[in-house]
Amino acid sequence: MTPEPHLLPNGRVLRYSYRERLVHWLAGFSYVYLLLTGLAFWSPWLFWIAVVLGGATVSRELHPWAGLVFVAAVLMMYRMWASGMKESPADAAWWKAVRHYIRNEDEQMPSADRFNPGQKLLFWGFLWNGLLLLLSGVILWFPQYIPWSLRFLRYLAVIVHPVCALLTIGLFIIHVYMGAAIERGAFGSVIRGDVSRAWADRHHHTWYRQLLRDSEARK
Amino acid sequence: MTNGWIDIKNTDMMLIMGGNPAENHPCGFKWAIEAKRNRNAKMIVVDPRFTRTASTADLFLQIRAGADIAFLGGLIHYAIENDRIAKDYLLNYTNAAFVVKEGFKLPEDGLYSGFDPAAHTYDKATWNYEEGGDLTGKAVAAEAPHKPAPVPAPAKPGQTPPPAPALPPNVAHDLALQHPRCVFQLLKKQYSRYTPEMVERITGIPKDQFLKAADLFTSIRKNGDMKKAATIIYAVGWTQHTYGTQIIRTAAMMQLLMGNVGRAGGGVNALRGHSNIQGATDMAGIFDNLPGYLKVPNPADTDLAAYLKRITPTPSKPGQWDSFNYWSNTPKFVTSLLKAMYGDAATKQNNFAFDYLPKVDRNYSWTNIWDNMYRGSVKGIFAFGMNGVMIGPDTQKNIDALKKAEWLVVGEIYPDETSEFWRAPGITADEKKNIKTTVYRLPCAGFAEKDGSMTNSARWLQWKNAALPPPGDARLDQDIVAQIFLRVRDLYKKEGGKFPDPILNLTWPYTDPQHPSLTDIAKEINGKALADLTDPATQQTTKTGQQLPGFAWLKDDGTTSCGNWIYCGSWTEAGPLVARRGTEDPSGLGIYPNWAWSWPANRRVLYNRASCDLDGKPWDPQRRQVWWNEAAQKWVGNDVPDFKADSHPKDHLGPFIMNPEGVGRLFVPLGAVSDGPFPEHYEPFESPIQNPLHPNQSNNPVVKKLTTAADKFGTPEQGFTVVCTTYRLTEQYHYWTKNNPMNVQLIPEPFVEIPVELASEIGVRGSEKIKVTSARGTYVAKAFVTRRIKPMTIDGKKVYQIGVPIHQGFRGIAEDAERNARTPANLLSPTVIDPNAYTPEFKGFLVKVEKA
Amino acid sequence: MSQATLGIRAISGHAGSVPGAGVERGLEVCKLIDTTTCIGCKACEVACLEWNGLTFSETTFDNSYQTMPETSWNYWNLIKFNEHEREDGSMALLMRKDQCMHCEEPGCLAACPADGAIVQYVNGIVDFQQDHCIGCGYCITGCPFNIPKFSPTARKVFKCTLCNDRVTQGLEPACIKSCPTGCLHFGSKTDMKDLADKRAAQLREHSGFANAGVYDPPGVGGTHVIYVLHDSTNPEAYGGLPKNPTIPLTVQLWKTPLKWLGNLAIIGGLIGVFAHYLRFGPKIVEEDENGKQGARQ
Repeated sequence: MTPEPHLLPNGRVLRYSYRERLVHWLAGFSYVYLLLTGLAFWSPWLFWIAVVLGGATVSRELHPWAGLVFVAAVLMMYRMWASGMKESPADAAWWKAVRHYIRNEDEQMPSADRFNPGQKLLFWGFLWNGLLLLLSGVILWFPQYIPWSLRFLRYLAVIVHPVCALLTIGLFIIHVYMGAAIERGAFGSVIRGDVSRAWADRHHHTWYRQLLRDSEARK
Repeated sequence: MTNGWIDIKNTDMMLIMGGNPAENHPCGFKWAIEAKRNRNAKMIVVDPRFTRTASTADLFLQIRAGADIAFLGGLIHYAIENDRIAKDYLLNYTNAAFVVKEGFKLPEDGLYSGFDPAAHTYDKATWNYEEGGDLTGKAVAAEAPHKPAPVPAPAKPGQTPPPAPALPPNVAHDLALQHPRCVFQLLKKQYSRYTPEMVERITGIPKDQFLKAADLFTSIRKNGDMKKAATIIYAVGWTQHTYGTQIIRTAAMMQLLMGNVGRAGGGVNALRGHSNIQGATDMAGIFDNLPGYLKVPNPADTDLAAYLKRITPTPSKPGQWDSFNYWSNTPKFVTSLLKAMYGDAATKQNNFAFDYLPKVDRNYSWTNIWDNMYRGSVKGIFAFGMNGVMIGPDTQKNIDALKKAEWLVVGEIYPDETSEFWRAPGITADEKKNIKTTVYRLPCAGFAEKDGSMTNSARWLQWKNAALPPPGDARLDQDIVAQIFLRVRDLYKKEGGKFPDPILNLTWPYTDPQHPSLTDIAKEINGKALADLTDPATQQTTKTGQQLPGFAWLKDDGTTSCGNWIYCGSWTEAGPLVARRGTEDPSGLGIYPNWAWSWPANRRVLYNRASCDLDGKPWDPQRRQVWWNEAAQKWVGNDVPDFKADSHPKDHLGPFIMNPEGVGRLFVPLGAVSDGPFPEHYEPFESPIQNPLHPNQSNNPVVKKLTTAADKFGTPEQGFTVVCTTYRLTEQYHYWTKNNPMNVQLIPEPFVEIPVELASEIGVRGSEKIKVTSARGTYVAKAFVTRRIKPMTIDGKKVYQIGVPIHQGFRGIAEDAERNARTPANLLSPTVIDPNAYTPEFKGFLVKVEKA
Repeated sequence: MSQATLGIRAISGHAGSVPGAGVERGLEVCKLIDTTTCIGCKACEVACLEWNGLTFSETTFDNSYQTMPETSWNYWNLIKFNEHEREDGSMALLMRKDQCMHCEEPGCLAACPADGAIVQYVNGIVDFQQDHCIGCGYCITGCPFNIPKFSPTARKVFKCTLCNDRVTQGLEPACIKSCPTGCLHFGSKTDMKDLADKRAAQLREHSGFANAGVYDPPGVGGTHVIYVLHDSTNPEAYGGLPKNPTIPLTVQLWKTPLKWLGNLAIIGGLIGVFAHYLRFGPKIVEEDENGKQGARQ
């Protein structure tokens, strides 16, 4: 397969294809809905969210369906990105230097591929938690069909679901914060799809170099 | 019931056998629970199945269906052997001391003296008391060897039978109870064969369990204590046998032995299976009775005098005792009944229209009617308030009988198996076309749409009001009967007939003859004065046309009319006493004298004189029902004394005032019970074993088989080895509630209860379908595999019992949806009946069980 | 029923105060079921259906007298039948009327996220308010007695109300009214406990049930439906009556420690990223003119 040309004629770098952006937002919007309705069920103090979103009954009915959409999106991401998300030997060094990343001392960070180890953590975190949320969610969706003899499944589900949800919330906060506030240019990458060459070089040096090499090779 | 529902709360000991009150009489069963809760009363339940009643029992014994006499006989044996009997009561209130006629023979070989094997009947001449005086202390040391009972010459047709033997007026008696032919000694001898070992062989109840139960039940008479009382409670589990009457008699004897009859918390208590069965029986619901248990005339009763002579007993007692012999008033009851029926047409000159009464020449009991229809001699039938196809034994025979009938009238609230007998499973479309029976279906009113009184098991007449009018074209039963009667009468008026008088002269004095009100009818049954009457003792008067205050006012000269003497006093000038709702109970014994009205004379416990000792003091000062008031020189009490009110205890008037002896009958003379003066254990007609007591006379010898091709009986040799019993469930009411979604939800499908061991033998698991087959038919239902019925060892043989609820058939919600096999349970049961009460043997017949 | 009444002492999924909590203590009601005098007649089942206007459903025979395997959304009162062989070999048919136990500490209410869908009145009755029910079914999981049942048509959960509508009018629940043997009693919790204790003592002394006792499980703070059992050491024999019922551990973990931990984590996370932004600000990549080079040298 010929890779898509990433070095765009306008001098920018295509970071996420149209399909990738679509899937990202499919996951994003469904997750936000899940988060909001989930929070409404999580705490009486946030129950008003469900009211705002059309009433708690609607939220209870749609939350599981949104969950299916979210998990479907996550699975599509898996198909698209799993190869890029594999742990590489370089990851350890990156994690070792992560405090520089936090302090915006990006120049002291080891070079990252298309996805840096933080992104990989996000990806795998959402994937595994998403699957667990799906499994526990199905049980919570139809508690009436779980026979009394298998009630331990329900008991597991009520604890697994919020624990996994909380983990994704943690990831989600960091993800949104970084995507929207910290990494200037990242937000554009999931909207328009492209980033500047400088951005690509700064944050995903290995990937960018590879793109250049591929481009050279094609010439 | 000798006592009443509420009175059960006064008991110390309950033997519940042949009945399942928790399931079939749950509302009345509360009093058994009350007794347990408030008095720590003990409950023994003996049943073929561990029922819901058993679940509340202190002791449960699983008995083989039909072995009840063996068990009760064993109890009698135990009570006598262990001196757990009420000696004073026995001596003075029963016929224990009476000496029986020479020549009477106990049924060691299964037969009493006087058996005629050709006719299957007994000559009862020797079943009588010896005439003579006080033989106390003069007992013959040893009994003279048995003279063989004279074999009666077979009655030749056309020959008038010899006059029936009568009871002697002055009965020979031995108050020391030593005479070898005195009732007590005969009783002792009769039941000496019912040892615990024999009980175990016949009933399947292990000896140790039997002894435990016997000890517990008789423990109330430990050391001669008379304070406590035990009750025996039964239902159709006793009546539905070919010796059902005798089972109940055995219980009555046990209660007399222990001095429990007439006492609060005692008695022999029949639980009626329908709200008004007692009323039906009281009002002559059976062919050989007239209302108030008057015997029906037979062709030998050539005139009223002959009839009255035959049915009016004379006192028969030891000379120094007294006997009220209340049935000596029979002529008053009969004359008043005839006046109620034929009014002015009943005159002294025409024997009070005695000739109008039908003379019953043979057995017209339920099974015989259907047998006659099957044979083609009964052309049509009115079926009101009963589902004939389902009720009777051998459903197939009943359906085949209806196929032969010309017409059938069914008055019901639902289409039922009788009115739709042609829809029975197995009838093909072609066959349907050939059924020529014309079926008239008359929609009737349901119970909530009718007023009237119902008589409960406690003999209370309780008035109820209609809750709402019948829907659509449905009519009240009495309206339908009135229409038919008035039209038949018109036909007789117009066309005459062989003997129109009984129809034309029948009184019909109702305000609206087309729609007789039940108020009118209830008042007519109570009776009224036809002349001004004065009671010579009290100088009270009852004017012409007034309602009679009670049956003591009845006359045999035509000046009173009364439709049922035992109901006289229920609707007086004071109004409908049957509608009273007074909740006062000053004695705390649950007598409630102002609630409704109880026959006779508002007495709540029958024979209550027996609740007192010889001096007229209550056996138990805590439970004072009636007592002798020396100052007032009369019997008084919380209940109405069932006794001659001014009879001083010193007169020794017997408390059992309805018996000519004045005392309770341990020995029943002269064939008042046709199969023997003492009950004897016989095997059910279909039995897995030969009778261990006398294998050569296994069944009841006076039971007659019906002889049509449909009357088939099975034997163990043919593979019918499983004992089957039928019963009702608490969730359903007979064949009726299967039309109500609520009840169908509770018990949706027919099932057969079978022991776990039998299930594994035939390879069936719970809820799988099984096929139960008797010599007569096949029943298909799901298996209810249970540990509540255990395999039994009967006379050394392993025997299984199964239970079949009777409710489902081929018409109902589930039936119409074809959710079951649509087979009625009574396809299995045999048409063979008790010789006294004519009740079919629905309990304890033989079947085989297979996987369907 | 308004939630603002002093008659309510606990409300599910409720933010803020509950008017009746700790304010008023009415008479606590209690249903006493004496299993030793229950005859399994099912009058209570029918009375429940009729009073509450519940619909019929088709049942199937399942090798038992029991109407259905367990209570259902339109069948709140079910007698459980259990054949039981005692140690001495004697048979028992244990019959226990199963319905909501009206726990003092109700697991259903604890698990319910919907504001006002489950309330507990000061008299101890735990009542579902279907107007507020969102059909999530968490109550099903919260209940240690397998009582709340989901209606596929209403998409809400239903259960026994202890005939709250009758009780507020001074009547006993319909099941009590219909019981023919008087094995059901209704009154104050103190009176019923007393009656139950006396009955259990009677069973021990006079009926030979050495282990007779009262079932009022402390694990859920006691219940407003209590049983007298022939053998209180073996409640499981009575159709799976739990020996030591509690609100399921995971529900407890979820509703208390996890909730606080989660709240702290979320709030901490939000504060953390905000603080991070204040301290470090965004990562800005300076773009060169031709765009060929990044910041990295």
